[in-house]
Amino acid sequence: MKGRYADENIKWIPALIGLVILLPFMLKGITFSYKYYLYILNTIGIYLILTVGLDILSGYTGLISLGHAGFMAIGAYTSAILVDQVGLPFGFSLVLSPIIAGCFGFIIGFPALRVSGMYLGLTTMGFGFIIRRLIIALREWTQGSGGLAVSSPKLFGYTFNGDWANYFLVWTLAILSIVASRRMMKSKVGRAFMAIRDSEQAAEASGINLAQYKMMSFFISGVFAGLAGVLMAHTNHFISTDHFDNMLSIYFIIMVLVGGIGSIYGAVLGTIFIVLLENLIVPVIEEWLHVLFQIEAGDIESLIFGLIMFLFIIFQPTGLYGMWLKIRIYWKLFPFNPKQRFT
Amino acid sequence: MKKFISFNLTASIFFVLGCSGPSGSPGISDNEILIGNVQDLSGPMKELGKLLPSGSNLYLDYVNNNGGVHGRNVRMLVEDAQYNPQKTVAVVKKLIEKEQIFCLYNVIGTSPVEAIRPLLEESGVPLIAPATQSGTMSDMSRPAARYIFHTDTGYDIQAGILTEYVIKLDPNAVIGVIYQDDDYGDNVLKGIEAIEYELNISVQKEAFQRGATEFSGQVMNLMKGGCTHVIIAGIVKEPIIIMKTAEAMGFSPQFLGISPTMDHRVALAAGSAGEGFIAANFAYLWDSDNEIPNLYRELCEKANVPVAMRGMYHYYGFTTAIILVEGLNRAGKNPTRKKLIRGMETFNNWNMAGTQPITYSRNDHAGAESVILVQVKDGVQQTISTWLE
Amino acid sequence: MNSLFTEISQEIVSGIALGSIYALIALGFILIYKATEVVNFAQGELMMVGAYVNFFLIQSFTSSMGAPTFLTFILGLLGSIIFAVLFGWFLDLIINRPMKDEPVFSIIMATISIGIVLRAIVGLIAGPMSLVPKSPFGGAHIQLSGIIISILDLFIIGAAIALVAVFYYFFNKTRWGLAMQATSEDPIAAELMGVPVNKVYSLVWIFAAIVAAVSGVLLAPRAAILDTNMGFLGLKAFPAAVLGGFGSIPGAIVGGVILGIIETVSMGTLSFHFQWVKEINDIIVWIVLIAVLMIRPTGILGTEEIKKV
Repeated sequence: MKGRYADENIKWIPALIGLVILLPFMLKGITFSYKYYLYILNTIGIYLILTVGLDILSGYTGLISLGHAGFMAIGAYTSAILVDQVGLPFGFSLVLSPIIAGCFGFIIGFPALRVSGMYLGLTTMGFGFIIRRLIIALREWTQGSGGLAVSSPKLFGYTFNGDWANYFLVWTLAILSIVASRRMMKSKVGRAFMAIRDSEQAAEASGINLAQYKMMSFFISGVFAGLAGVLMAHTNHFISTDHFDNMLSIYFIIMVLVGGIGSIYGAVLGTIFIVLLENLIVPVIEEWLHVLFQIEAGDIESLIFGLIMFLFIIFQPTGLYGMWLKIRIYWKLFPFNPKQRFT
Repeated sequence: MKKFISFNLTASIFFVLGCSGPSGSPGISDNEILIGNVQDLSGPMKELGKLLPSGSNLYLDYVNNNGGVHGRNVRMLVEDAQYNPQKTVAVVKKLIEKEQIFCLYNVIGTSPVEAIRPLLEESGVPLIAPATQSGTMSDMSRPAARYIFHTDTGYDIQAGILTEYVIKLDPNAVIGVIYQDDDYGDNVLKGIEAIEYELNISVQKEAFQRGATEFSGQVMNLMKGGCTHVIIAGIVKEPIIIMKTAEAMGFSPQFLGISPTMDHRVALAAGSAGEGFIAANFAYLWDSDNEIPNLYRELCEKANVPVAMRGMYHYYGFTTAIILVEGLNRAGKNPTRKKLIRGMETFNNWNMAGTQPITYSRNDHAGAESVILVQVKDGVQQTISTWLE
Repeated sequence: MNSLFTEISQEIVSGIALGSIYALIALGFILIYKATEVVNFAQGELMMVGAYVNFFLIQSFTSSMGAPTFLTFILGLLGSIIFAVLFGWFLDLIINRPMKDEPVFSIIMATISIGIVLRAIVGLIAGPMSLVPKSPFGGAHIQLSGIIISILDLFIIGAAIALVAVFYYFFNKTRWGLAMQATSEDPIAAELMGVPVNKVYSLVWIFAAIVAAVSGVLLAPRAAILDTNMGFLGLKAFPAAVLGGFGSIPGAIVGGVILGIIETVSMGTLSFHFQWVKEINDIIVWIVLIAVLMIRPTGILGTEEIKKV
């Protein structure tokens, strides 16, 4: 364990995992409406799996994707069809559907070899639209734009029913995704990705097969997004093309950027921050405003959301993870803090 | 002594369970019934998000000022879901678990309502008058269908009624339909296909995308197809542009619209192009001389509702609130969710809401299957038919 | 045969009009991208703001001067341009200045959040009801051997061509334009050579806001109903900018017009003769786009960027 992880404080990790396990029990103790908070935590867990994958693609490999909701849709619809219509067990679909989503990532990887920057962003955005259309066109299986009802997940003879059981399913997979992606990024593959991000020419010169690794990055990212889609389909019990619209892809990018692009923990923090901001913090502020100034809900909510995000970006462009790193260094060096470093 | 302890224990358990108390359901207190409403307050349909709750509150205030429902005031919580199914699930969860509402009312959008079916099934919360007219709402084979009470005539049925109306007037009519390519249009097409089969005709179908502003290709296709009657399955903006484009091209079929196009601004903005436009309508016109529209206008005057807001969408919130209040009335003095469902199922040709007569039964939660037609004459909408089935 | 020809020409003419709208929005994207390498996702919202300002100006002129004349609309347009100048300068001040040294990604995200904020603020000020804008030309249109085009569309096409020409000239022939090119090439080197980089950035944002205002003013009467979601059209114009080549000003009009024509023809004649086209006519644009990018990875008129190692 030494060497590769030397820069990290590993003893925090069991504590955090313990917190994840204890959190639902704490919530149940504190509040009557714990199911609502569990639902939000489940949403965080699902989105987090996707944003971690997106961070591998955008943060580590430097390939932008504006169509990640498309991969999520593939995972969700594939699993819904495999389980409910083909009759495969959920456990099998949990493995197979993300791989199918990954294969679509592979297909999108081809154009990624030719285009870069905003051109790639646009190609992936187009991919999102094409997937949406494909789902509608395959209405024999997907029931078109009307949406599709999905069964509950069943694993080892146990049916996950309700937010409580879903929480443990989602977060087990979320933690596994975080661990797996971190290990991957510290391996040869991860270093190759970063080399490509920093300079394609230099990476190529040092013997990295650009085509192979770029495709691999898209594949891995697609697998994560597909997994998130599977979980979303089976925990929400209903999916439609409106669930995976283009704004969602942009939201995912926002989550990664707010967290701090290019670090797995950053993606995690960003997802938690944005989902909580939207579902808990903004409604509370809006309620205050309503009590204090009699302002009606509606646009004011998006105003608060947009303003917080904007101010955050202006004052903390390195994201939440960057903020955390600064704080950590501050405490490590305390009391010998060169002041100008922390302005 | 033992008895006393056990009594104490049960009492304290009830105390811990808190807000609901021993007799009532969630959302029912001694002087209040709490209703949850999910609207789009900041998304693509935010205009409706303002109009519908405003119309509903107009009637709810009227009821509350006149003694409420069995002595309880009806209070409505409005949440914003931006017309997004995922967000709708989140806010409905919040309304049910956190705010402890009694029932849901007027949740907007087809796919948002579809998305909350599993939640309704799980919690047993009834949904009165979903604010969408898709025929899938009252499809009793779907999950949670027994909790959903649809008040409107489905888009599919409307499309069928309009086609039949046209064929009855002119057996040689060539009908075209121009539809929004999403779940709304899907439902319209379903109705069109059924009536095509029934009457043995063929209807020319043209699609447009949500938010489109350019329709010359589709209008020209309809012209090429020699359509004499065109059914528009759009909202407010689309019929205006389509009719203007057609006028410019010298193409003048009889235009008809599915009920979302019945807004009076269609006539206002389309000008001469919109003359003669027939729209299917779910209720008597808000400015017509009938009992409920009169009450509506009187209350609007009293509450100083801005003139710009008065109209069919605002009136829609008003009439569905009448149905909701009637349902709550029928649920009895100590309402529970089950009693509300049973009460709703006793509606039989009930036409006190200023809409089409409403009938529910145990196996039929489609409240209405008829529309009334209104036509634009000299820039003003006028009723031209009785209730058509 | 002759009628098919007329139909297709009619669709192409309508497509050019639609494409010119895309071109106007795309021009805004390109201007900012050219000088700062930032993709301004709030471009559509800038257009929406322009349309709203214009609407309220015309409304107030009408209430003070009586029925709207052609002069009212001209004044309205001028008013919204003046507002756009201030507004573009202000946006540069709050977005671009504080974030000059940050990664481009962060600035792009700032523009997304500004888009959300603008939509909310306009919604709060104007109220939730959609407005019905008036067209200066009413429904007037002209007819040329069976092909119809409205006067408003003619103006839109004219504005797109004029603005593209003006900015093309500006960028390639004037001192300030060259300064902008230098800034986009290498801001630090440009600053060392005496280019006032901050002023260049402000100017670019002001230009983008003006273009947005003009397109908003022209588009609002065409869309029949004015609401805050008008800004989402920006996302539709984004492909136009990319198709033409993101760094190229004439590319805006090339990309926009191609997309506009594809859209109307596929919705019209193509789906009339081939039923299956209906299934794909909202993604046909994207398929063409991806195909073009496979052949020319930097768009039709874009230039290959040469990277140093």
